[in-house]
Order: sequence, then C-alpha cells, then structure tokens
Amino acid sequence: MQGPHPQKLTAALAAKFASPTRSTRLTVVLGRWLALTFTICFLTGLFSHGLQNPPSWMFFPTNPVWIYQLCQGLHVTAGIASIPLMLAKLWSVYPELLVWPPIKSVRHGLERASIALFIASSLLQLTTGLINTYKWYPWPFPFRETHYWLAWVIWGSLLLHIAVKLPAIMANWNGRAVRRAEQQGPERGPASEGTAAAAAVGMPGTGVAPGRWSRRAFLTGVGVSTGAVVLTTAGQSFSWLSPLNVFAPRVMGTGPQSVPVNRTAAEAKVADLATSGEWSLAVTYRGNSTTFDLAGLRALPQHQEELPIACVEGWSQTAHWSGVRIRDLIGAVGAPPDSALRVTSLEPEGPYRLMSMPAEYVQDERTLVALELNGAILDVQHGYPARIIAPGRPGVLQTKWLQTVEVL
Amino acid sequence: MKQPNTPASVWSVRIVLGLAGTALIGYGLLGLPTQLGPAQLLGLLTWMAFAILLHDGVIVPLLTLTGAGLTRTGSRLGPVSAAILRGALMTGAAVSLIAGLLLKAQSEARNISALEGNYAEHLLWFWAALAAAAAVAIYAFERAGRPRPPTGARPPGRAGSGKGERRQNTRP
Repeated sequence: MQGPHPQKLTAALAAKFASPTRSTRLTVVLGRWLALTFTICFLTGLFSHGLQNPPSWMFFPTNPVWIYQLCQGLHVTAGIASIPLMLAKLWSVYPELLVWPPIKSVRHGLERASIALFIASSLLQLTTGLINTYKWYPWPFPFRETHYWLAWVIWGSLLLHIAVKLPAIMANWNGRAVRRAEQQGPERGPASEGTAAAAAVGMPGTGVAPGRWSRRAFLTGVGVSTGAVVLTTAGQSFSWLSPLNVFAPRVMGTGPQSVPVNRTAAEAKVADLATSGEWSLAVTYRGNSTTFDLAGLRALPQHQEELPIACVEGWSQTAHWSGVRIRDLIGAVGAPPDSALRVTSLEPEGPYRLMSMPAEYVQDERTLVALELNGAILDVQHGYPARIIAPGRPGVLQTKWLQTVEVL
Repeated sequence: MKQPNTPASVWSVRIVLGLAGTALIGYGLLGLPTQLGPAQLLGLLTWMAFAILLHDGVIVPLLTLTGAGLTRTGSRLGPVSAAILRGALMTGAAVSLIAGLLLKAQSEARNISALEGNYAEHLLWFWAALAAAAAVAIYAFERAGRPRPPTGARPPGRAGSGKGERRQNTRP
C-alpha cells in the first residue's frame, strides 16, 4: 500500500502551524533585537574571559570601579532577555522546518546545517548560562570552557546567518516601506505572507483575523515579556532595579554582613585554617619573606573604600571595605608599587587558589587587603582574616582567606 | 555615486560576513575538543540534540495548540482585547519559564545567600497581578467598544449588530 507523499504530509503539517502573524518583517525585527542581545553577551563575555585568562595585550581598567559590575550585569541580563526573544524568533520561522524536500541542493543543505548548529548552540548556551547562575550543573560537560567556545560558534553563526539572509533583511528593514508594499498588494510586499493570510480570513479595516493579533501587537507582547523577565531579575546586578528583583537567584543586601557569598568557607575547606590564632600573611620579595599577623596588618595605615564586588554570574553588591592598601603592604617590604603579584589563598585546592594581580591593580590606591566589611571584622564567609578587594575585577579574583603575597 | 545597496556592494558585505562567520564557527568548534574530552563532547552533542527536539517537537506544538485555543476564545473579543489576552499569557509563560527553572534549581542545589527567595509565592503573586491587570484592561476596552444604548430616536438605517459595531470602533 502506498502511503501519502511526504510533501503532502509536510504541507498539511505546515498548514496546521500556519499563522498570519508570521512574516519576514516580523522575523527581521526580532532578529535585530536578538542580534543586539547576542552581541552584548559575546563582547561582555570576551571582556570577562580576558580579565580571567589575560592574553599578552589585555588591558585592565580600574575606572570606573563598577566596570565589571556593569559588564557582567549586562552579560547576564542580555542573556535572560535573549530567552523570550529567541523563542519568538524561532516561532516566527517554524514552518521553515517543515519544507519538503528538506535538502534541495548542497548549498541549501549547508545552510540548514549551519542554522541547526546555530539554534542548538544558542538554546543550549542560554539555558546552561541561566542555570549556571543558580550554581546548578546537571550536564556532563564543563560549563566555563563549553560556554566560551560555544560563544564563538554562536556569534560566528550569527554573522553567517546575516550573510545568507541579507537580501531578505534589507528588504524588510524599513517598517514603513514594508507596510506601504503590503498595502499595495500581497504579491508585491516582501513581508506579505502574514498580511495576505489575514486578509483572506480577516476583518476589514484592521488587517487582523478575529481572535488573532497583528504583527505590531505580537512584537509588543514579546517586548513586554522580555521587559518582564529583565525587570524581575536584573535587580541582582543593578541596585536601582533591586526592589523589583523577585526571580533572580541573588538578592542585594542578603548574606553575612549584607553581602552575598559565592564560595563558602566550608566549600573551600578553610574554616579551621582561617580561624586559627596562628594565621599570618607572608609577603615575599626578592627571596625574602616577611610575615604579618593580624595585629601587624592592623598596625599599618588603614583605609576605607566603597567598592562593588561583582560575580561572573551577574550578581553584585557595593560595600564598604577597610584595610591596608596593597601598595603600602608591598612597600613595607621594599617592593615598588608598579609590581605584579601572585596571591595565594588558604584553600587547599581549587581553580582560584592562586591569583595573579597585574600592576594596574597594585598601583591603584583603592586596592585593599581588606580586614573589615561594612564596619565589622570580615566574616569567615567573606574571607576572614584578610582578603583582596580591587576595583573592576571579577569576584573570583578577589581572593579570600589570604595566605601569601608574592611580588613578581 | 555608487549606491550602498547595489548588488556588488551587497555581495561584498555578504562574502565578508560569511567568511568571518565561518572562521569564527571553525575557531569555536576546533577549540571545544582542546578542553573537552570525548565523553564530554558526546554529552554536549546529546544535550544540543535534546534542546532542538524539546523546542521543535514539544514547545512549539504546545504553543500552537494554545494559540488555536486563544484564537477561538479571542474571536469573541475585540482585537485589542484579544491582543491583551495573548500578550498577558505570553508574558506569564516567559516569567514562569524562568521561575520554573529557579524552583527546580532550588530543589537540586542550595547555596548560602543564593536561591533563598520564595519563588513559588512570587510567581503566584505575579500571575495574580498579571491576570488582574489584563482583566481590567480587557474589561475597559470591551466596555468602551460596546454600542451605546440609544438616548433618543434611533437614526434611520442604523439597526447595527452590536458585535460588528464594536469591532469597527476598536481598532488596535
């Protein structure tokens, strides 16, 4: 018995999924928004990656002090905004999935393969990126490395996609021209698919079928949805939005001493070492080591700074820190203020046990070996007895539970 | 002067973008195996395939079914009200997706000062506020679009079916 022809099947399926709201113009508008959020994510991600794994040419800005707070706030917020935008964009082109034959030529096959890679990478990147901010890792691959390499694949795919679709993008870029062409007749408009279908079943005067919504209404809905997810989460990064923060994993002002914690003393296995009365900080310069116990550090000139601590996962918190300027500390052992440092934590293991500090941060007088936070002695969760706080650095490089400072 | 959108210039832009994009894709794809082992790469491919299947095979068909139901419900409303109904549901779905992942993460991984919110309660309040705002807006638009009761003699030739008149008066 001969079954139905695949083309008829896919055509019937496509008819089931047909919606007059879909049009090339709709896809182009959503694509513009998504290209913007993807580009923000890519550039801010590269900057953050460069700060943590600096190439030889990397620059290390310490002004404004909130530069990293802004960078990661934008990165995570743009990533969250991308989720509804991406779902809407994919919905707008869904019938393309059902075209028959699935591959018409080598070029068409390559194009579809590149789009499949683009979509799969993007869906995975946005989902795992969001879940990473919850510190939940249910997948069988390392997050940081995968996130970094997939970012190149996604942004490259974006450029390639724009190259392939450029004529359609250009024809549908200008909304007024598209609407004018649509009014002249379905066969003449570049984005006429939706309007033609609406007109076939629709309401005179509105161009919209009963019960459905117009392209503009759909875009407004996508904008409101995106605004809702942004407004209810971005308060973890931007203090002026913190009153609306109800769906972010972190809330400003929470945690010991009103500052959130990323890595706890228990996770780092330092609680006993850090609270031992025998703790001292060793500062090494030209082979000579000088130790400072807590009283010795407190005897050095103390300074107060208001600096944000900003995590790679997007949350941040501005706080008042006080302690010894790092340049004063190395000056006490005779080292020049333009030195680079290697700082070690009491943590027995972990990727951030060792931290390199470029000279730009050492020279900056706001970089402290902090002993107090918000007017009280550092909580052990925040790095007691001493930790680093520097302007414009990722939180993971603000080393807690200091053990040694080596002048390079 | 040469127009910026002449076919030659467009082709040049397309070629540059295409080559740059292909190079970046290659850089990313070649970089992955330098830091991921074979089992991790297989896991990554599996997750990517699952993401596509979940989206194309489950999420979009469910959205389409919901949309069909809304078309039926919305056809009893004016176009603005129908759009408000769809927009409210879209907003609620987007926020619920984020909150749903939060709730799942909260049950799986707990960390000091992270995931401490009462997200289920927040979500309920969000839906309540959204439903109230949408209901008020729909009520206002439907009421504004309803034909007014005659205050005097009915003008000749204006029998009018209420529904048709309402739609004519409530363009988006």
